Amino acid sequence: MTTGSTSATTPEAVIRRAASLRDTLSRGFRDEAVRSLYAEASRIADRATVRDGARLDIDQRIDALVTSPILGLPIMALLLAIVFWLTVAGANVPSAMLAEGLFWIEGLGVRMFEAIGLPWWITGFVWNGVYRGLAWVVSVMLPPMAIFFPMFTILEDLGYLPRVAFNLDFLFRRAGAHGKQALSMAMGFGCNAAGVIATRVIDSPRERLVAILTNNFVPCNGRYPTLIMLATIFVGAAFPPAFASFAAAGAVMAVVLIGVGVTLVVSWALSRTILKGEASAFTLELPPYRRPGILRIIYTSLIDRTLFVLWRAMLTAAPAGAVIWILANVHVGGASIAQHTADALGPLGHAIGLDGAVLLAYIIAIPANEIVVPTLMMIYLGTGMMTDVTSFEDLRRVLVDENGWTMLTAVNLMLFSLLHNPCATTILTIYKETLSARWATIGALMPLGLAFIVTFLVATIWRLVA
Amino acid sequence: MRPLLLILAALAVVVALAWRHWTHRVVRERHRIEDALKHLFDQEYRGRHASLTSLKGTLHLPDGPVLALVARMQALDLVRARGQEFDLTPEGERLALQVVRAHRLLERYFADEARLPLSQVHAAAERHEHSLSAEAANRLAADLGHPTVDPHGDPIPSREGDVPPAVGVPATSWTPETTGRIVHLEDEPPISFAQIVAEGLRVGQTVRVIERTPTRVVLTDGENEYRFAPAVAANVFLAPAPAHTAAAGVVRLPDLPDHVLAEITGLDDRCQGFSRRRMMDLGFTDGARIEPILRTFAGDPRAYRIRGTVVAVRRDQAEHVIVRPLDTATRGLA
Repeated sequence: MTTGSTSATTPEAVIRRAASLRDTLSRGFRDEAVRSLYAEASRIADRATVRDGARLDIDQRIDALVTSPILGLPIMALLLAIVFWLTVAGANVPSAMLAEGLFWIEGLGVRMFEAIGLPWWITGFVWNGVYRGLAWVVSVMLPPMAIFFPMFTILEDLGYLPRVAFNLDFLFRRAGAHGKQALSMAMGFGCNAAGVIATRVIDSPRERLVAILTNNFVPCNGRYPTLIMLATIFVGAAFPPAFASFAAAGAVMAVVLIGVGVTLVVSWALSRTILKGEASAFTLELPPYRRPGILRIIYTSLIDRTLFVLWRAMLTAAPAGAVIWILANVHVGGASIAQHTADALGPLGHAIGLDGAVLLAYIIAIPANEIVVPTLMMIYLGTGMMTDVTSFEDLRRVLVDENGWTMLTAVNLMLFSLLHNPCATTILTIYKETLSARWATIGALMPLGLAFIVTFLVATIWRLVA
Repeated sequence: MRPLLLILAALAVVVALAWRHWTHRVVRERHRIEDALKHLFDQEYRGRHASLTSLKGTLHLPDGPVLALVARMQALDLVRARGQEFDLTPEGERLALQVVRAHRLLERYFADEARLPLSQVHAAAERHEHSLSAEAANRLAADLGHPTVDPHGDPIPSREGDVPPAVGVPATSWTPETTGRIVHLEDEPPISFAQIVAEGLRVGQTVRVIERTPTRVVLTDGENEYRFAPAVAANVFLAPAPAHTAAAGVVRLPDLPDHVLAEITGLDDRCQGFSRRRMMDLGFTDGARIEPILRTFAGDPRAYRIRGTVVAVRRDQAEHVIVRPLDTATRGLA
């Protein structure tokens, strides 16, 4: 065909000509286009930039250390342990202060309502129900998040997190998952809803879904109180007082590592069943290390993450507080609805090594896992509102002596807490991220089913052996 | 009053069921016709003729329904019978090309973008080919960058209906000890295709026939040996290899030792679609300098310095990058 200018003027003719010319293109014309773009870009860059060899050298030395085949993983575990320890240890005092302050306001509100002569049930519903639910979530959740998220953001800003993904990729590759799932998983330690959002860095849809559905298997801030309580009462108490806190911390770390293991196993199973596919391109840039920007860290960690997550949790905790109050204060035939429900759930609870009260606490705590322990105490003590037991000795007395908890109960509660369905906020986030009710449902029911199966197996085997 | 309502309700249910059954039958018949056309086209393309027996085998149907189907296709003027054999009419060929084009484009999509395992690509395309309109197929082709072959190496008909002739020689008739590039892996019968894929052969791979006896054919890509029965090896089609992969002094990126500077000479043809775009985006282009600088505890992935940044790549991606190590004399220039 000659390049006659008169023949190809109608749109159809142009398209036809383009189609015929397409066949004559060399196979690699796309590669050629990219290559020439890069050639031009590097020509401009070479003319305009000066390379700092010393900077490069420092980066390379740090990289050689933190990704070293021998020291890389231990350094990572150590950093993780430090972040956990700081979060747990640092959050205790502010949590207690917040709780004291917020519950003082509750007392004030109750007295005010009583002074103007409102009936007891309005006072109870508003202050002991809705307000107490909110106060609890804020005081339990805010301090650890305000410590965890800034530390996490510092590591992120430094450029350390991509190195974590690099170190852990060999595990995720074998699980058929994306290496960047390590990043969203790390985020999940702060909050699973934030972890689900963090999966946006994964560009392959299949692997992103794997990351979303398994994020729940690392315990979040809301679940640490339960884990720490159990570790202190049941594991710590078995050691001499000097080692108790380390033993307890070790137990929490062990649960966390089990969670990482479950994440990998479930990712592996998903990639071979409902999310079948091959590992996609894993290409991860390891950016140069940077000095963290303080303002940016404060903004990202406090505004974007902490307050965002807290706000969502409060939205779900307020109605939960109301429901808990109603369940505990409406009496049918001499016992509260809560008591009746706990009795009805008893056999199921027993089958998985727990009891009806624990299951009820988990059903009520679907909106926010923080309120599991207070709700449990409320049911056990028969009070009409969420209750805190301040000392671990009292707690031990209530659980072991009065309600017959054993080591099996503790182990299974830890497992259940680790594996069960994500909180309502996370389920909602899964829905928003996938825009699919189906994946949100699977994201909620798959962990729940797994939790039941695992705890049932553990309970059955335990009872057979013991 | 009540009985009347009941009767009406029952009638409505019967009508609804009949309607569903009927539409279902119409749809199923269309799918069967399209599958039959595809088979006829495939036979003609390979220079063979379709018969009742071959149709029966492909459609997994007994004699009666196949005969009825052929009669229906003749009535629609899609097929002409010539003795025992069938030929496509021009209209039949046009429809067949449409289905084949949809099927192969979908295969390309499932393999490159959805990253389905190669053994499942064919079945997934079979499920979706009937619901892809010609216009949707054109859009898909444009999105995929107008691919010319499917993942098995079969040509994709153009929108005008042109199909390039079949290329390649079966491995059973390829000259031993000469290098060839795999251009086509026949996906029928599925059992032998599954074996070929499981052994690790892919379209675009460069191989050599090192042994050819009546009982077995052995291929090698330089590292691994692939042994097949001749019946299976006949489904592997080879063509002369292009120059750059056969060039001397080049290695694949995972084989480059740590801290040795090299120059990229090309990306493997096996790396297509999403993966290829990703590699190109990161600057893995011909002529770029690359140096492996970090290796994890498991040895995979490795991190490479390229174009002033550090990028970690898994081994199975790095496999596709062909590099030429630069000797120490030229290192100073980097």
